[in-house]
Amino acid sequence: MSDDGASGSDGGGTGRSGSSGGGMGEDIQRVDAALREQFSWYVVAKKEFKDTVRSKLLWLLSAIFVIVFALPAFLGLYFGLGQIAQQQGATLTTDAFFGSAARLGSALIPLVAIVVGYASIVGERKSGSLKVLLSLPFSRGDVVVGKVIGRSAVVAIPILIGFLVSVAVLLPANVALNAVGFVLAALLTALLGVVFVSLAVGISAAARTGRRAIVGTVGIYVYFFLFWNSFANSIGGLLGEYLNVTAGTAATTSLFVKLVNPTQSYQTLVDAALGNSALTARATMFQGLRIAGICEQALGGNVSMSQGAGISCQSTGAGVPFYFSNVAVLVYFLLWIVVPVALGYRLFDGADL
Amino acid sequence: MTAIELDGVRKEFGDVAALRGVDMTVEDGEVFGFLGPNGAGKTTTIDILLDFVRPSSGTATVLGMDAQADSRAIRERTGVLPEGFDIYDRLTGRQHIEFVAEAKDADPDADALLDRVGLDHEDATRKAGGYSKGMKQRLVLAMALIGDPDLLILDEPSTGLDPNGARRMREIVREERERGATVFFSSHILGQVEAVCDRVAILQDGEVVAIDDIDGLREAAEAGTTLTVELASPVDDLEDAVGGVAGVESVAVDGSTVTVGCAEDAKMDVLSAIEDAGGTVENFETEAASLDDLFAAYTEGES
Repeated sequence: MSDDGASGSDGGGTGRSGSSGGGMGEDIQRVDAALREQFSWYVVAKKEFKDTVRSKLLWLLSAIFVIVFALPAFLGLYFGLGQIAQQQGATLTTDAFFGSAARLGSALIPLVAIVVGYASIVGERKSGSLKVLLSLPFSRGDVVVGKVIGRSAVVAIPILIGFLVSVAVLLPANVALNAVGFVLAALLTALLGVVFVSLAVGISAAARTGRRAIVGTVGIYVYFFLFWNSFANSIGGLLGEYLNVTAGTAATTSLFVKLVNPTQSYQTLVDAALGNSALTARATMFQGLRIAGICEQALGGNVSMSQGAGISCQSTGAGVPFYFSNVAVLVYFLLWIVVPVALGYRLFDGADL
Repeated sequence: MTAIELDGVRKEFGDVAALRGVDMTVEDGEVFGFLGPNGAGKTTTIDILLDFVRPSSGTATVLGMDAQADSRAIRERTGVLPEGFDIYDRLTGRQHIEFVAEAKDADPDADALLDRVGLDHEDATRKAGGYSKGMKQRLVLAMALIGDPDLLILDEPSTGLDPNGARRMREIVREERERGATVFFSSHILGQVEAVCDRVAILQDGEVVAIDDIDGLREAAEAGTTLTVELASPVDDLEDAVGGVAGVESVAVDGSTVTVGCAEDAKMDVLSAIEDAGGTVENFETEAASLDDLFAAYTEGES
């Protein structure tokens, strides 16, 4: 308490008189008290967050994301792309940068989130600090939710800082800012962090040993990155070959399986946020000839190629099927926050500690 | 009202029975000692009170509430010093106290708390990762006292404390009782319990084998007096003559030496029964069992 309120209350007589500093400190204290009153997980989340700030992890992550997101923009802009664009008199948009940042982020962020989350509960269970924590009036649900929220903030805030710095690098140059695309891409990227923190905390809640939590989280990461895509790519073909399903069903299944992978749904959502149509964003999750197959068989569109825009999937009038729409994909993406936490909580809540 | 009530609590871990039907009632406002050797099931019992572990059968009620369904409400009014705990390495002692204060919505006087448990104010501003076992113990005790809980559950509270710390611990227990709190604490060392407890339960192998106040236990211990009598010469049929005396539990005759296990107040009756049977008492000595012997007898197998 005195930690946060130090500037407000410790000022004593002068702070009381309503100087802006004291007033803000009091406001923060009031919000803090209201949150504490309202949400029983809040104290846990706050402790988690402050603990990470203390460990300097937050600053390390911020530095990493600034480097990952802003450095390519900086180098590309001031040593290459920017000059070319200006010479040609073309307007360079920020979209290109965020698109590549998203691709980089989708590999790095899950790993960072796993490191932040995997020990969150099982670590305390093994050390015995969970006994102290659960001696206090917190339910096990408060502990799980508090950990998810506190550690999500630890990952999401550095990601947002990375995006802000990258935009600060891009703005002075002659680059058109797609503000909506920027905000959406930043939020989606932060959400990707939240998804994998949730997954890691869920596994940490369910695991009885730290080793199992590591194996579980890393296993899922490897699975998403190495095996899921080839599984998604091949399942359509296998269905066609062995079960004689129609080409439409096979393509729909392939796309759907691919979308269930949160790193994939993240990328296609970022593509959509940066101005691609939902159809194109979905179809270009695949490569080469398969783009046409998915576009026509699963999405009911027509493939077109143009020199400037590359491959796109055009609607034939019916639009995108609702289960492949941006909103539906966002729901699949967000289910990765809800489901692992719910499952992990169920196992944790039923366990003898 | 009863502070703690356990009714037929059993707990199996796999096929190992940790608790085999524990019945126990702790009254409001008493200091209750929970004695037993390591591995008897003391921590499992406490874990059930705090809902860390769920009983296989039976019910546990704490402060009139169900230990499972109302666990949060129970823990709002309970201060706990758990066994095998750890604290947060990166938080200072004071930050631990602040955290508990927030969790319990209390506004404790941190300095006074630190003084009470004997934790140096300077140490309290350092990160707890560098604390010794005894310092951690003191800090968690301070955390348990925050918010003036109605019930204190202390699992092996003297672990890691020096004699000074152990004395301070006993003082705190007394102060807390005077404030009106119920104190439930476990120990495998009788001396710690004997000094402060109103009542004691002895747990052995997952079962409560004795539950009484200290005086009652002491009487039970004294009932275990051993009387050794030296006779001038051996006498026939002494076993029957002495065995018939009220209060005698065992008789062993070895030549002219008779060893009688009996109640303290049966001694004179035994001596006169021996004389009546024709024996001449040359010498006798009595050895009263101490509470320690009793505890040892209870906890080291059948006596």
